[in-house]
Amino acid sequence: MIKISPPMFKLKLKLKPMVKGKLSRSLCGMVVCSMLSFPVLAKVTEYQLDNGMQVVIKEDHRAPVVVHQVWYRVGGTYEQPGKTGLSHMLEHMMFKGTKTLKPGEFSKIVSQLGGQENAFTSSNYTAYYQVVGTQHLERVMQLESDRMRNLVIIDEEFDKERDVVTEERRWRLEDKPTSKLREQFNAVAFLNSPARNPVIGWMTDIRSYSAQDMRDWYQQWYAPNNATLVVVGDVEPEKVLALAKTYYGKYQPEKIPTLKPQTEIEQEGLRRIELKGATKVPTLQMGFHVPSLVTAKTPEEKQEIYALSMLSSLLDDGESSRLPTSLIREQKIAASASSYYSSADRLPTLFYLSGTPTTGHTVAEVETALLAEIEKLKKEVVSKEELERVWAMSEASYVYSQDSTQSQAMILGSLVSVGLPTNTLNNWIDNLRTVTPEQIQAVAKKYLHRDNLTIATLYPDGKDHSGAKAYKGRH
Amino acid sequence: MLKKQSNKQLFSLFAVVSLFFLAFTQSAYATVKIETWQTQGGAKVLYVYAPELPMLDIQVSFDAGSARDGDKWGQASMTTALLGLKTNQYDETELSQKINDLGAQIGGSVGRDMASFSLRTLTRESILTPALSLFNATLTDSVFDQAIFEREVQRRVVGLKRQDLNPGSLASKTFWQELYGDHPYAHPVYGTVKTVESLKLSDLEGFYKQYIVTQNATIAIVGDINSKQAKAISEQVLKGLPKGKKPQPIPVPAAPKKAQEVTIDFNSSQTHFKQGQIGVERGHPDYYALFLGNHLLGGSGFGSLLMEEVREKRGLVYGVGSGFSPMKQAGPWLVSLSTKNDSAQEAKKVVNDTIKAFMKDFDATHFEAIKDNLIGGFPLRIDSNGKIISYIAMIGFYDLPLDYLDTFPKEIKALSKQQVLDAWNRHIDVSKMTTVMVGQVK
Repeated sequence: MIKISPPMFKLKLKLKPMVKGKLSRSLCGMVVCSMLSFPVLAKVTEYQLDNGMQVVIKEDHRAPVVVHQVWYRVGGTYEQPGKTGLSHMLEHMMFKGTKTLKPGEFSKIVSQLGGQENAFTSSNYTAYYQVVGTQHLERVMQLESDRMRNLVIIDEEFDKERDVVTEERRWRLEDKPTSKLREQFNAVAFLNSPARNPVIGWMTDIRSYSAQDMRDWYQQWYAPNNATLVVVGDVEPEKVLALAKTYYGKYQPEKIPTLKPQTEIEQEGLRRIELKGATKVPTLQMGFHVPSLVTAKTPEEKQEIYALSMLSSLLDDGESSRLPTSLIREQKIAASASSYYSSADRLPTLFYLSGTPTTGHTVAEVETALLAEIEKLKKEVVSKEELERVWAMSEASYVYSQDSTQSQAMILGSLVSVGLPTNTLNNWIDNLRTVTPEQIQAVAKKYLHRDNLTIATLYPDGKDHSGAKAYKGRH
Repeated sequence: MLKKQSNKQLFSLFAVVSLFFLAFTQSAYATVKIETWQTQGGAKVLYVYAPELPMLDIQVSFDAGSARDGDKWGQASMTTALLGLKTNQYDETELSQKINDLGAQIGGSVGRDMASFSLRTLTRESILTPALSLFNATLTDSVFDQAIFEREVQRRVVGLKRQDLNPGSLASKTFWQELYGDHPYAHPVYGTVKTVESLKLSDLEGFYKQYIVTQNATIAIVGDINSKQAKAISEQVLKGLPKGKKPQPIPVPAAPKKAQEVTIDFNSSQTHFKQGQIGVERGHPDYYALFLGNHLLGGSGFGSLLMEEVREKRGLVYGVGSGFSPMKQAGPWLVSLSTKNDSAQEAKKVVNDTIKAFMKDFDATHFEAIKDNLIGGFPLRIDSNGKIISYIAMIGFYDLPLDYLDTFPKEIKALSKQQVLDAWNRHIDVSKMTTVMVGQVK
């Protein structure tokens, strides 16, 4: 069935939630490490085709199944004001026919092969995937390569699909005050960076797309030298590469636009917004501007990313971490409290905190308590015991993440699409293990301070919604 | 693999037979080899050897879902929530630290039929042994603490209040209540604000004592441990729990005698629409035909008729789908969508027309394509330990034959179009639908 995808990487290496174009499925949390050695941890094979397309292959022979994905480096943060959500809308149109396929035919063929397929768009990328029996890899590669260059956008199909996307936005956002809060929070935390763009797009932008906007966007970004092929499953890398050369290698590279920097201005004081909505439960979203693994260039800067990741885990990874222990169990003021660090974004990003007060307590109390936890991290160095616990959980989670070939493919594709090396995975836990208590204290002081903070609060709108009574009609 | 036999025979024969298969079939054969036995306490065990990753999954399921709530709605779910927070040996902080120190994941979940508890851990000896011991403690040695109980009730109430103003949850809750009337499946799994607030700690203790017993348990095990280890683990996991007894079967639900339609006026931009009726129970011989037909009608996303008619042709929705949820007793068959308020009546009409047309006849080529999807897609359903444990837990809990997974594609393949149409017309009566709409329905 259809549900919102939760934030993707529940544990360490976190990416932004994505908007799925089709039927969505939830993704499991995952982390990375290198010190474990067992057969399934096969090495990743990487190539670059002559036309610039990147190819990443990982063998996993547990089942006669293969995941085939193509990732384009285009998403919400590539978009301009007035045209937000264009990447996501184009993702929908990618199922609407090519020079040789009728609208919907792509999905029908994959279905008949017994395959599952979907696509998703995030701030950083747009990706398409099929999961099929290994014997069908060539067929889906042929189909996917076809729509890389041969998409046909028919006006009537576009009009209907734009209606579908407006329904998607209503379903995801309009009747869900907490989702609306996150969207507006993000647009206030970022003032001039395109990181403020909602991936699905503002409603007014969606309504004013034209079919030609889609064609232009496709023309600009969908080319082999702006794409990554990821294949994980019961395959031999040489054979996959030969197929990739046949189907993707035949296209000429294109000139890919260079984006203006749009560097976010420095925040010089607390920002705060309120939203009123149809809810009985107030809630709170906070965020501090922080760098990401992509924007950090020097080893010292990268070390800050590992320290922030450890910090986030100390706060909210497992029931023994600080936020559930303090806010939920000891102070008993929050029904939920969490932290989230989106560490693998293309652009400078946010360190998030959020919480919902429990019955009889206020958002103000939760806000104070969340910030008190941050102050504590600045004043007291964390214990070795707490660090060891985070490392142990990270290593175990890494092994668990290997259970799903789709999760493995997701990690690889998302790393390459923001320009990170695939061995980011293999080095991740080694890197976390180098973090010292003092480094955690230092990043807390440097980034998690009031002048760098945005707070958004959702309050009940005060309207009487108790009139929502059922009546039996017509029969 | 084994064909259908009586369970008794299976218990004695299966280990030998599957060893044979383990020896002679390696990876290429996409199937799941299940071993089964009973623990001394009478819990049924299903086990699959999966040596590829150094990890172990265990799921222990009890017939202790919300259908056992009686008039204390939310009792089952609150009992599940409290288990594993504190034990006689460790307070909450110590227990959570012990579990996290190992990188183990212990959790519980509850539905209408089932309360289930799971462990995921690495199989390295220094981790496996303490992880199993902690998992055992959460199930058998949990303390029902008044302060923790009150806190968890408050947290649950916040969640329930949030759901109260979510049009989708409201529609779903109303649909179950209308469809099942006085039956134990009717009420919401998590109860209501009022019923949860009136629960007492002694209610949960009583519920735990009655239902969390070995005779009422099914254990599913998947991972990198051999059969002998699995046998030992299955004894260890519930060690200390009383034998107890299986509860009486849940009563057979009575289907509504005529069509009913409920509209809830709600201030939302979309109308949430749910329509359906009571379907079949797990193990019903018509389930394959109903499932296959539903896959064509609304169960396979973009390959299905409802998606074609409501989304692809008319752009009315982001998602629309239908599905059977077979349970211990007949579970619902449900069509679900949400659309802007102005389109609600149109979407409803398209859904009804599509169902009616489908039940008269459908395209033979499309039917074959849908069969291909199910048969060809079968390996994808069992390509990870996580998916396999869900299946074997289901097979165990619902007493399905052990060869259920092998039989599934064969049964699908053998079905004719006429058999599917006949099964649908036996079970689904379009003149007796229960319909719920929540929104500003025009």
